[in-house]
Amino acid sequence: MTDRPTILVPVRVLEGEGVPEGTPELLANAHVVVLGYHVLPEQTAPGQARMQFEERANERLSKFRSMFEAAGATVESDLVFTQDKQQTFDRKIREHDSLAVLVPNATAPPENVLVAIRGTVGVDRIARVVAGLFADTDVGVTLYHLVGESATDEDAEILLDSVADRLVELGMRETAIDIRIERKQQPRDAIVEAATEYDAVVMGESSTSLVTFVFGMAADDVAEQFLGPVIVVQREKEDEEPEFGNT
Amino acid sequence: MSEKDLDVTTGGKNVAGETPATEPASVTEETTVHEDAELERTIGLVGGLAIGIGTMIGAGIFVFPGLAAGNAGPAATISFAIGGVIALLVALPASELATAMPRSGGGYYFISRSMGTAYGAIVGLGLWMGLVFASAFYLVGLGHYATAVLDEVGIELAVSPVIPLGLAFAVALTALSIAGTENTTKIQNAVVVLLLVILTAFLSYGSLDALGVFGRESTPETFFPEGFLPVVQTAALVFTSYLGFAQVATVAGDIKRPSRNLPLAMVGSVIIVTIFYVVTIFVATSAFGAGQLEDFGETAMVEVARDFVGLPGAVAILFAGLLATFSSANASILSASRTVYALSRDALIPQKASEINLKYGTPHIALVAAGGPIFVLVATGQVELLAEVASFLHLIMYGLICVALIVLRRRQPSWYEPTYHMPGYPVLPALGALASFGLIAFMQPSSIVVGIVVMAVSYGWYRYYAGDVELKGDF
Repeated sequence: MTDRPTILVPVRVLEGEGVPEGTPELLANAHVVVLGYHVLPEQTAPGQARMQFEERANERLSKFRSMFEAAGATVESDLVFTQDKQQTFDRKIREHDSLAVLVPNATAPPENVLVAIRGTVGVDRIARVVAGLFADTDVGVTLYHLVGESATDEDAEILLDSVADRLVELGMRETAIDIRIERKQQPRDAIVEAATEYDAVVMGESSTSLVTFVFGMAADDVAEQFLGPVIVVQREKEDEEPEFGNT
Repeated sequence: MSEKDLDVTTGGKNVAGETPATEPASVTEETTVHEDAELERTIGLVGGLAIGIGTMIGAGIFVFPGLAAGNAGPAATISFAIGGVIALLVALPASELATAMPRSGGGYYFISRSMGTAYGAIVGLGLWMGLVFASAFYLVGLGHYATAVLDEVGIELAVSPVIPLGLAFAVALTALSIAGTENTTKIQNAVVVLLLVILTAFLSYGSLDALGVFGRESTPETFFPEGFLPVVQTAALVFTSYLGFAQVATVAGDIKRPSRNLPLAMVGSVIIVTIFYVVTIFVATSAFGAGQLEDFGETAMVEVARDFVGLPGAVAILFAGLLATFSSANASILSASRTVYALSRDALIPQKASEINLKYGTPHIALVAAGGPIFVLVATGQVELLAEVASFLHLIMYGLICVALIVLRRRQPSWYEPTYHMPGYPVLPALGALASFGLIAFMQPSSIVVGIVVMAVSYGWYRYYAGDVELKGDF
């Protein structure tokens, strides 16, 4: 069995948002960190919300935990009351050393997953997530690359083949891996378009802040248009000092 | 990441059978950790400074100069300096205590944990009322500025609109804080920066002018036209301009890297506003005689600006005055609501008081508990009384903060591990306590009476409602 990749699953625990259908199956081979969070306006001290909601939130969290456990995942959970969910996500990714964050959306039990490969950077982490999740399953994986203007199709093939080799090394069946190369102008539209044929998307976070990617612009583009779950693989954080912005 | 254990255990029940909420297990740089939940800390250094400066600057510059100059003449600069020194003497021990106990409630929390429930109740209920008086004072100031705007655009009304405008702003602010989910912190930070820019430009020009650089005659005057006593009395009056740094401690539970940011935000905001205040009075009194400033009243600074740079200056200061008094009132209402939360968390008032409504996620009862009494107080329109009672109630707390520091340093309970140690122990905290209590003696008798009544009622409430509640840490 491959190593279980640690995947953070943020859930707005008090606002009716649950664990979307299909998500536990998708993450059956993962180590799932369920992050129950509740965002408060500035007028409200987080502790105030804790007094009132802690019990109910923890009840719901334990329900979510057992859903993931039933599907086969190992699970832990945290409950955070916050005024700044980006800061909370960042901190939790760091604390749990998570490989990826799930943008939860409902899906059918997964059969085909699209893996978007941007370049060589961070490919190993993507491979660890994909192999960890799907090596011992019947899920088919399609490696997807958009060719830039200056690159050739051969470059793309070399890139994707190397990823495929790495996946096989990590225990995936060769027959479960497909390759798809496209040449288009708008990368995000292209990914969204391609994704419609799949049950879930795995992609690396964009080069700037992870959170703008997960829940900002690109998430609107990919996760929301796609309407299925997106697993966003985190860049390696090289012992970065946690940032205490002056804001 | 440093992690600190808090070993304060609370106990007992109030009349309604409620117990104080459990204390957190530990405090880290970014969170307060309870057994089954974490509370994220989200306010950084700039946010903390903005709370401190934003709360303070409204009063000292935009409301008091006329009144203060009228009472003490040019020596009002010394009154403001005295206030600044006292504030600093309290900000230092408050910083040390805050790094040891970075929890919501600030001064109330320090005192209840180190000196027991009775002192805590008097200070906590007093702080709530103190903030209510302060907010009412800022709102009356805001009413004056809004009225001055009306005057400027030529709208004349039969009755003075100061109080009605103040009341309208009180209602609007309370409603806004209950239903507003917009990001007000960013706006508040921007407002503070804008204010500091306007003031720096204006005061630099004014100072150069006062020193004769532009070759204009400044108004010659005796420095102590009324003697020294009014200078101290004026210090007591204008001390309301120095209440904001304690508001930083009120939200200590939300401050990131508390051991670094709390001391910097508190001490820094006191030093910054003191400089601005002293220069403001210097500029104002060199532009006009004290008598004339007094006649201008609450909006004297508008006339000073008009004297220097004409209409654009007057408009800029009017605008700044509106912003400053508004942000002071807003910050104080939010602090009052935080104080209500801290009190209800500790079962000193019904826990229902800090309930959050589901629609907006805001503590509507606590906010109304702040906004309601503010409305009543604004209706009185007594600027000086409101200011002095607010100062009185804060000064009691400030004095006790200094005492609490001395108590904790002497007894060294195991849970008291501040990361910042104030210099000059025991002389400075002792001086801070003496100065805080001493300044009260120079207030008007009516303010002292109202303040004592509030304290007596607070104590009576404690005995009736929460006599069995234990908040003091183990010694």
